[in-house]
Amino acid sequence: MSDPAVKLSGVWKVFGPRADEAMAAIKAEGLTKPEVLERFGCVVGVQDASFEVPRGEIFCIMGLSGSGKSTLVRHVNRLIEPTAGTIELLGNDVSAMSQSELRQVRAQTIGMVFQHMALMPHRSVRDNVAYPLEIRKVTKSKRWAISDHALALVDLVGYEDRLPRELSGGMQQRVGIARALASDPAILLMDEPFSALDPLIRMQLQDQFKALVAQLQKTTLFITHDLDEAIRIGHRIAIMKDGVIVQIGTAEEIVTNPADDYVRDFVQGISKLKLVKAHTIMEPIEGFNGALEGAPRADEGADLDQLIDLSVGTDIPVVITAEGREIGVVTKARLLRGIQGGKE
Amino acid sequence: MTDVTVTAASDIEVDREALDASIAEFAGKNADYYAAAFHKIHESSGLMPQTFNLAAALLGPIWAAMRGVWGFFWGFLLLEMIAWVQIGRGAWGDLGADAFERAERQRERAAGFLDRAEQARQAGEDPARFETLAANLQKAADNSQAAADAAQAEALTILLFGLGLLLIFKLAQGVWSNVVYEKQYSAWRIEPDKTEAGVKSRNLLLGIALVLTIAPLTVYKFTVGESPEILDSFPAEKDHYVATASWLEARIDAAATGGAGAFDSIVAGVRSVLDALTIALIGTPWPVVMAVICVVAWRAAGPRVAIFTAASLAYVAFLGYWEISMETVALVGAAVIICVVIGIPCGIWFGKSKRAYSFAEPVLDLMQTLPAFVYLIPIIAFFGTGNPPGILATIIFGMPPVIRLTALGMRGVPDNIKEAATAFGATRWQLLKDVEVPLALPSIMTGVNQTILMCLSMVVIISLIGGGGLGKVILEALQYAAKGPGLLGGIAILLCAMVIDRIVQGGFRQK
Repeated sequence: MSDPAVKLSGVWKVFGPRADEAMAAIKAEGLTKPEVLERFGCVVGVQDASFEVPRGEIFCIMGLSGSGKSTLVRHVNRLIEPTAGTIELLGNDVSAMSQSELRQVRAQTIGMVFQHMALMPHRSVRDNVAYPLEIRKVTKSKRWAISDHALALVDLVGYEDRLPRELSGGMQQRVGIARALASDPAILLMDEPFSALDPLIRMQLQDQFKALVAQLQKTTLFITHDLDEAIRIGHRIAIMKDGVIVQIGTAEEIVTNPADDYVRDFVQGISKLKLVKAHTIMEPIEGFNGALEGAPRADEGADLDQLIDLSVGTDIPVVITAEGREIGVVTKARLLRGIQGGKE
Repeated sequence: MTDVTVTAASDIEVDREALDASIAEFAGKNADYYAAAFHKIHESSGLMPQTFNLAAALLGPIWAAMRGVWGFFWGFLLLEMIAWVQIGRGAWGDLGADAFERAERQRERAAGFLDRAEQARQAGEDPARFETLAANLQKAADNSQAAADAAQAEALTILLFGLGLLLIFKLAQGVWSNVVYEKQYSAWRIEPDKTEAGVKSRNLLLGIALVLTIAPLTVYKFTVGESPEILDSFPAEKDHYVATASWLEARIDAAATGGAGAFDSIVAGVRSVLDALTIALIGTPWPVVMAVICVVAWRAAGPRVAIFTAASLAYVAFLGYWEISMETVALVGAAVIICVVIGIPCGIWFGKSKRAYSFAEPVLDLMQTLPAFVYLIPIIAFFGTGNPPGILATIIFGMPPVIRLTALGMRGVPDNIKEAATAFGATRWQLLKDVEVPLALPSIMTGVNQTILMCLSMVVIISLIGGGGLGKVILEALQYAAKGPGLLGGIAILLCAMVIDRIVQGGFRQK
């Protein structure tokens, strides 16, 4: 069980009729994207993407439209063939699989949810959810039972025999999630599942989804163009720009330590209250020479919100502890700077 | 964001310089003149801006060619030619020529008779008969001469009319040219690469060459009484036609003999489908068939269509058309079944493969546009006459809609649903069976319905190559101009078509 659930190494995707030539030229000469477009008429969709997702993690891939995030995630189940690089799922090389092995993997190990739901309009909700099982030739009684269970997970009991068009957008997307869960896959691919929904429904579904995945222990690749959503849902976030993964890290790492200006612009508007933790903004207790008598105490994992609550009632800095040891202090000044995002 | 100062619309000033530079780039020669003219047009809010382009007025189509305004060129070349033909007829057309010739001839003959009268007098005979003839002829000659003179006098009117026309056209070109050229400038701003701009010597030469080849020949042909025969009719060679036609005939005969086995087996296949349907519709006792049809109408399209169906069947049966109507239905049914069986798989293929469709499309176009009479001949050559060849002709005409609409439906299946099915591990067959065909079904059904109607419309035509059914009734009525039987048979065909259409449409709507 030591293999990561998803592992991409050096994945490139070049679109166009002369993709292979272009790829060879890129490897040999290190062409830039505009040069590739000019010389070969090929578009570089994904450029040298590598990452690992351990089992059970929700890994968000965030980027604006056209940044290649949807392209990247379609390599995982080879809906798009990589031009170069390898993709491993649970230790198995996907790019080396035959068509029938690939179908097997798609049907059993991967569940996918799409931005525009992509439900079959002529089938009932139940039959939509059961379709991955039908492909695997599961008997009808069994697949109906499973799909009813999956629909119960997404809170859609009572809608089994409706047609998709009779359901609201949010409900349709829950059907999409139930369909992805129906074959009990180890890996979920979520391609901007909530982007087309209105904000309130989106938030509800995000929470519902997070709880569901935590309970079911699914490894998830979650694509979004919304950083708030990525922070809310993801354990780790990869930020993509023009086909390149710019930065990978936890929400806190990205917010407090953006890799470049592009990421910095992105995280500027994000509220740090729930993201930044005490250990990031504290100063070491050794160097601190003020009075600490009766100071409030907080764990190093406490977020800014909690620290504010603690320091509102007193003028003394908050003492930060780790496993009972005092390791640092957070003064008012540091706290305020921390809220601003670590400006010095 | 760049800084933008907001100005009230009424205070915004026109940036002449940028516009003039752009117009200069467009117009090339005489840029200043066109900048001023376009300015006037841009300022004008009336129906017709008042500018006058002297070059366009004087040079006419040549100006248009030089500036690459080809629509203007052809339009006014044609109009000016009308004017020039009038001028030519008036100026040198020799309008009274035939009347004058006649007068000459009559005068000669009158003189001849006068000579004969003189001879008779010398011979001591009575010259009165010849003198009367001569006098009559002289009178006729005078009339002809008067007509010729009148025509000559009319020449002046025609000449003036032609000159007037030319003047009007020239003025029109002068007034209109700048407006048209400004439109071309606007088009040029959008697509500078695809729009003619400036003065190009290639265009000028082309324009002059066109004017020189078209105008003199046309004016010559219309103004000269006796033009050389080469201008009147194309020197076609009758031998070419005969040789080609007989070569083709030999080829077709050879192909028919060579492929006789294949053609016969096609006919046999079609005949087996037709026979099965005929047995079902005519072999079965008529009360059973009628009842089944009415029940089907009821189930598929509701009580109103069922009543209509019953009434139609009664009409057909009481007038003794029952068997022959069922033959028509069997013919159409066989054609439709074969169309659907071949057409839907073809449509699926063409919907999936763009290349296959680009090859098939011209063939489908041909099948639909070629008049049925044209392919009836090769069908007779290859398949003989009778019902099966008739069905083949019907198929040629009826199959394109089901192919086209199936392909359309297949292409209309949303990619994301196909992608979803693929992502869940569907094979190509499962994708086709579970996603593509069900989603394309409404379109396919429309195609089938269209095909049924097209096949029905061929019923009369196939009677020309020995097809039976109601078409034969109409054909016979046509041959003897029998109005009564023709009308009764026509109504029977109409009722058959309406019943089938209603039932099929009702059935599709339920799905």
